[in-house]
Amino acid sequence: MRRIFKHEPAPRRIAGDVDEELEFHIQERTEKLIASGMSAAAARTEALRQFGDLRDVRNSCVTLDHDRARDMRRGRWFEELRQDLAYAFRSVRRNPGFALVVVLTLALGIGANTSIFTLIDAVLLRRLPVPAPERLVAIGDPTRVNAMYNSTNQRPDIFAYEAYKNLRDNTKSLSGLLASGRGGRLDVFTGAVGDEAEHPRARYVSGNYFGVLGVPAFLGRTLEDTDDRDGAAPPIVVISHGYWSRKFAADPGVLGRVIRIQKQQVTIVGVTPPWFRGEVVGNYPDLWLPLTLQPVLSPNRPLLGDMSIQWLLLLGRRRDGVSEPRAHAEVTNLVRNWTAAHNKEQESNGGISQASRDSIPVGSGARGFSWIRATYRAPLIILMSGVALVLLMICANIANLLFARALGRGREMGVRLSLGAGRGRLVRQLLTESLLLAVLGTAAGLLLAVWSARLLLVMTAGSNAPGALDPRLSLPVLGFTTAVSLVTLLLFGLAPALRTSRVDLGSVMRAQSRSLTASLGRGAGRLVSGQVLIATQVALSLVLLLGAALLVRSLQRLENTDTGLDRDHLLIVDVAAQDRGLRGEQSDAFVRQVTGRLERLPGVEAVSFSENGIFSGTESSNTFEIPGYTARAERDTAAYYDEVGPGYVRAIGGRLLEGRDITERDVAGAPAVALVNQTMARFYWPRESAIGKTIRIDKVSIEVIGVLADTKDHQLDAEAVRRFYLAYVQRAIEEAGSLRFVVRTGGDPALLSVPVRAELKGFDAELRVDDVSPLSLLMRESIAENRLLARLAAGFGALALLLAAVGLYGLMTFATTRRTGEIGLRMALGARRGDVVRMVLLEALRLVATGLVVGIPLAYATTRLLRNQLFDVPAGDPVSIMVAVVVLCGSAAVAALVPALRAARVDPLVALRTE
Amino acid sequence: MLDPEGGLLRGTLDLLILKALSWGPRHGYAVAEWIHAATDTTLLVEEGPLYTALHRLERKGWLDAEWGLSEKNRKAKYYQLSRSGRQQLRAEISNWERYAGAVTKAIAASAVPA
Repeated sequence: MRRIFKHEPAPRRIAGDVDEELEFHIQERTEKLIASGMSAAAARTEALRQFGDLRDVRNSCVTLDHDRARDMRRGRWFEELRQDLAYAFRSVRRNPGFALVVVLTLALGIGANTSIFTLIDAVLLRRLPVPAPERLVAIGDPTRVNAMYNSTNQRPDIFAYEAYKNLRDNTKSLSGLLASGRGGRLDVFTGAVGDEAEHPRARYVSGNYFGVLGVPAFLGRTLEDTDDRDGAAPPIVVISHGYWSRKFAADPGVLGRVIRIQKQQVTIVGVTPPWFRGEVVGNYPDLWLPLTLQPVLSPNRPLLGDMSIQWLLLLGRRRDGVSEPRAHAEVTNLVRNWTAAHNKEQESNGGISQASRDSIPVGSGARGFSWIRATYRAPLIILMSGVALVLLMICANIANLLFARALGRGREMGVRLSLGAGRGRLVRQLLTESLLLAVLGTAAGLLLAVWSARLLLVMTAGSNAPGALDPRLSLPVLGFTTAVSLVTLLLFGLAPALRTSRVDLGSVMRAQSRSLTASLGRGAGRLVSGQVLIATQVALSLVLLLGAALLVRSLQRLENTDTGLDRDHLLIVDVAAQDRGLRGEQSDAFVRQVTGRLERLPGVEAVSFSENGIFSGTESSNTFEIPGYTARAERDTAAYYDEVGPGYVRAIGGRLLEGRDITERDVAGAPAVALVNQTMARFYWPRESAIGKTIRIDKVSIEVIGVLADTKDHQLDAEAVRRFYLAYVQRAIEEAGSLRFVVRTGGDPALLSVPVRAELKGFDAELRVDDVSPLSLLMRESIAENRLLARLAAGFGALALLLAAVGLYGLMTFATTRRTGEIGLRMALGARRGDVVRMVLLEALRLVATGLVVGIPLAYATTRLLRNQLFDVPAGDPVSIMVAVVVLCGSAAVAALVPALRAARVDPLVALRTE
Repeated sequence: MLDPEGGLLRGTLDLLILKALSWGPRHGYAVAEWIHAATDTTLLVEEGPLYTALHRLERKGWLDAEWGLSEKNRKAKYYQLSRSGRQQLRAEISNWERYAGAVTKAIAASAVPA
């Protein structure tokens, strides 16, 4: 109370006060001098003389007083903030449940948002962490990071080594052009862990790779132009910071260390910086090898000399002063010239060149290459919309909670106003409380975000690719989060504060004696905003629930779709037969022996093999002629094909609709045979049987001997396409490529993977077995993004449901508490507990119904955006709508039941007495 | 040794003001009169600096001030010691006594110490 006596100068009055004070002194002195006998004029002059420099003193005093006023304002501000904070903490402690709900709600919202945005940022938005990434130019289809095509037709979207050198040497707008291609599976022996080979992720890159990107070495050196001159292939490797830490315990002595890759001794010359994860987003290599080392490491499969092997993506750096369009135009031209010059032959043969039709993919290389980006773009954008909805709901929920609380505190505010607290002060104090909650919520949300973002990134990149995506919450993401929490804060903090502070003193005081009627009339009216918020929440959560229901159902359909294969009993064994250099008869003997050995394993029912494999490996297509069939378009004479072993249909568990399977008798020299699938049979021979018909490939006539029910060979959500199957031993190519054996088992195929590996090792210890996986696992991996999307959507749906339930619970609790008196009166007048419960529940359901009336059309409209993500489920699927509505109503009933039961326990006597 | 504060030793004026207010609230003119009377009009050469000092001490929080009416019913600014001002007065008095005692002892010395 001491402060009341303190002289608190208002800034405007300071100078006047000083003048007045000094004038008082001069006057007193003058009067004293007059009293001692001086004339009035002489006395004033003498008083001023005794005083000294009046103006100087005055100015000093004014300055001092201004400083003091400023200090006091500041001190008061801090003092009040301290009070507000102390008050806020007290009120949080008094009502910890409320605070906990608000903080958790905020944390969930901010956490979900930040983690999803971190994922979006890492996958879709972030630029490569290299100097001036905007000057990079990407040439080739950025999604084909691990592709390889074998075709004499020169493609415009992925390049042969020859094509790369041509572009690199002829470009004028780029200061440098790098090439990179998949490393494939390499056996690496670091000597660190016994004799076992490891298979780190490797990428072949041109010598100027690091120079063009502008990435320095962290240790040692990076690759240099001289490292990939033709004919000279120094056996060196640059390893990533991640690999260095994991494998070599970050030992600086790693430089100069020799490791064995395949059969070659290779020296480690450098380590890349920790921030560099390569030019392929989502694919953080462990090893960077010079391109020229490729034929040395894989002599059986050299990729550089053959112009038909197209496997490189190119990234160039624009020269200073060359505009982006100009660089793109020049590069596009170079690619077109290259493909045109080399595809002439095909064109004159009647074929249509790819390049003349296809656009040439040249674009900004700032964000590098990525297949993840293409795969996850649509799911991420959908998730982002889901997150935005959740955030809206969270804002609504928090606004609702604070509204309810603010109304409940009307009396308290009234009392404080009547005791003289300023209105602004009240608003400020309520805002401080909100701020405290927001700070707590944001902190908790960020913790949650860090954790869940990591989880999401791993789920996206795959668990076998540690650190593939950069998990740092980026600055834009943090900014976004902060902005979101600030907007939320304003939304939920300011509105109730302003509302509360408008409390009419008289009505608050009177309310005490009239609360019974007030709760029936005015009270109900005041809850309208809460009711609107709840209805909105119900509508929004219905949208999310319906989206989740659709995606989950679509995933189920996808997982259970008929593939035409015995999906639960197949083991796919990927064998690198190409390394053994088998030719002709040797190769035929090899497949016969392997098949025979695997067939004899206990639990195996059938074994066959194919070149491309099922849900693994590659796809091939070929063009052909069908006698009697006239093609209307070029693509009508092409279909996917595979070269398979005897008993293939039986081994994959396929259904033969007509004719026979390929058998042991279909050998080289015997008439060439083919199986076709149903779609192909219907396409070319719609009105007759395909059996006995002829397909002509490169002048060789092949007889159709069987029709196979359509199978899904590589993609669960693919439409059925035309496929045919040739006998492997009748093929034209001499040398054995990689092979996928199909093992059909009686029981769980996973149990056979160890015996199969052992058997193959026993057969040929040198033979590399790349992968042994049950088909069901390969299928699940092929729909990883659908699974991620469905899982996350279900998570968001659950979150939305929880939020709506919490909101409803809060509102109903508040409403029934306010109506305690009314309920007591009803019960005193004979209402039974059941009646009270029913009354509260009906009220809650009325709110939910209002939300549903708005929500169902809204959900129906918005989930149409999901159409492309859905497999075999229509966007407006009635079953999904039913599920969403039932789940929502069920949770709402549970949320309302608690306050309803509490209301029913009201003792009429107590309730009436408290009035 | 002398500074602009009315020709007083640095800090002496502060001490005198605090002492002047130790009997209760006074306005600036009364403080000046008390200093003239108590020091036989020798110390305060100019009165203006007294006000600079009053405002400075107020800013330091040693003095509180409020407007009141003088004996002649004129509006005047009254100063009084705050709690910290009272502590300051005690501290400055003991400082001054030590200082003055030391100087007095030094000038009263009769012989060069061995």
